[in-house]
Amino acid sequence: MNRTPVSSSNVASVGYDPNSMTLEVEFKDGSVYQYFDVPETVYQELMRASSVGEFMHANIRNNYRYTKV
Amino acid sequence: MPNSPTYLGTVQDVQGATISIALDKDTVSGLAFIDGHGYRIGQIGSFVRISIGFTDLFGIVSQVGAGAVPEALAKVEPYGYRWLKVQLVGEGQRSGEFKRGISQYPTIGDEAHLVTEQDLTRIYGRPDEPNYVRVGSLASAESTSALIDIDRLVTRHSAVVGTTGAGKSTTVANILVALSDPSRYPSTRIIVLDIHGEYHAALHDRAALFRVNADESRGEKSLFIPYWALSFDELLRVTPFRGLTDADRAALVEKVKQLKLSSLQAQARNGVTADTMTVDTPIPFSIHRLWYELHRYVCSTHTAQSANQNDTTEAIEQDPQGQPILGDIMRVNPPKYRPITQGGPNRVYLSGAQFNIRRQILALESLLRDTRYDFMFRPGPWCPNPSFQNLDAQPAQDLDALIKSWVGGDKPITILDLSGVPVSILLDLIGVLIRLLFDALFWARYLPEGGRTRPLLFVLEEAHAYLNAGNEGVASIAARRIVKEGRKYGLGAMIVSQRPAEIDPTILSQCGTMFAMRLANATDRSHVTSTVSDNLEGLFNMLPTLRTGEAVHLPLRALIDAPAKNRRPDSDDPKIYDPDANGGWNRHKQAEDYARVLEK
Repeated sequence: MNRTPVSSSNVASVGYDPNSMTLEVEFKDGSVYQYFDVPETVYQELMRASSVGEFMHANIRNNYRYTKV
Repeated sequence: MPNSPTYLGTVQDVQGATISIALDKDTVSGLAFIDGHGYRIGQIGSFVRISIGFTDLFGIVSQVGAGAVPEALAKVEPYGYRWLKVQLVGEGQRSGEFKRGISQYPTIGDEAHLVTEQDLTRIYGRPDEPNYVRVGSLASAESTSALIDIDRLVTRHSAVVGTTGAGKSTTVANILVALSDPSRYPSTRIIVLDIHGEYHAALHDRAALFRVNADESRGEKSLFIPYWALSFDELLRVTPFRGLTDADRAALVEKVKQLKLSSLQAQARNGVTADTMTVDTPIPFSIHRLWYELHRYVCSTHTAQSANQNDTTEAIEQDPQGQPILGDIMRVNPPKYRPITQGGPNRVYLSGAQFNIRRQILALESLLRDTRYDFMFRPGPWCPNPSFQNLDAQPAQDLDALIKSWVGGDKPITILDLSGVPVSILLDLIGVLIRLLFDALFWARYLPEGGRTRPLLFVLEEAHAYLNAGNEGVASIAARRIVKEGRKYGLGAMIVSQRPAEIDPTILSQCGTMFAMRLANATDRSHVTSTVSDNLEGLFNMLPTLRTGEAVHLPLRALIDAPAKNRRPDSDDPKIYDPDANGGWNRHKQAEDYARVLEK
């Protein structure tokens, strides 16, 4: 999956696959997580958010199942 | 010059198997009478006999008239002679049998004769021999039967090609009726994969009909194809699980294997142990239970964080009586979970399952509820019915009963009517059917009812849908296997198609018997012509002008017998206009309760 770099204190880059509704997030420490069943609108909001890290924490981290890649 | 009434002329030019004959000046053009029968001279497609010593050569007229003059002579004698161009097809000893192929060629001056009915009987007629069945009569001599050799027909495969309305289904029905004659072949075994549900009308008393949504009161049997008999890949293709990532696929394999293993432990089965079992082994497992357990695994919520989750931490809602709402496995009702919360004392967490198949599970839920798929996912006596009390409930029947019902019935023909199967899985299902039967007959080939001892003929309808070059579907692979190696295991195929151009040429060229009906499309025609071994383009040039029910069955042109009224396939066109005001568009409209449409 292609990830776009974002400017944030702890998130390095974000990618999204609309077919499998998977959100892929690379953190600054190098770890990559995939979040499942994330709607595309949530991904777009994430990319528009003034603080990507804050949005991640508030709306994604505990709302979607995930796996560490 | 001999004055035989059959004398036509002499050979003037030989180019390989193509020879030119100059008609004798004395030969009457038009009609000749021999033994009281009238023969038309120089009909395209008619036969010519050339005597050379003790051997007779036989050829088919492919061109008549000025155009048939050899090129070198065209300038010298543009109108002088009447010419015939003839393609040699075979030879026969005087009063001996006809054989395809030529061992010696005619030379200049050899006499060419008209072929009489007696000669024709020599070529085609052996109506007394038990391995020949009559399918019709010669188009040129209607008193002579057109016969087919059933040994060749079954083991060397056959093809019936022709445009819509040329009489394919009628021809197939007619052949099947001839092959299943109980007085001649009491143990015929034929399976028809009937995509449009046409053949039962023609074969009602000879065939066992299996169909989806069967009407048991009319003697129809239900067609069941248990999902657990499918290999894992086949199962993925008919369920929403196609296109999984490798990791998810591996997890699903593990899950299915686990279910099959627990089923095997509940009931031991011959020939397979826990060590030899694979995910493809056809052991009954419950797909409803698979769905239920996957749903509980992936879609559940828990009262503990992912690291500490287990069955007892599930946050299941309770009904007013205080009982957990667990849902129902066979009714495809999932358990009801409490929504996640972001904090508080009784915080509810998402499932920690690292398995990205939530949408597929939801799609499987609707698939399992869809009654159109019941023939596969609720296959009657082959359906395991697990409940919370007995998760490993076994189906009433095993695969042997299924295969026996198809190939071991008391009727010679089995029709698997696939007209009620949803189109999206039709091709995969045909592939599964062929593979199951092929495997069954392959492994049982030396048993008393196995393939070699009692061969099986497959009739593959609309074969162009899955036998086209480049199609790598399950159906294509399975059908190719029959055509390419079925002969050794006693499996024959009859390929029926209206678009021969779309059929892989390597498949079509394997067909030893070809019934070519009317074909208008030039690509289709050249495709058929190129697959036949004989030098018979002349005969195939007639394909666009054949009458309905007329076929070129090498090396002859035959009029297929019209079946009796009660033996016609149900493939008539709907009537649009009918002089008695019974047509669809000139009759009186009738009251219809459209609510009935919805029930279907």
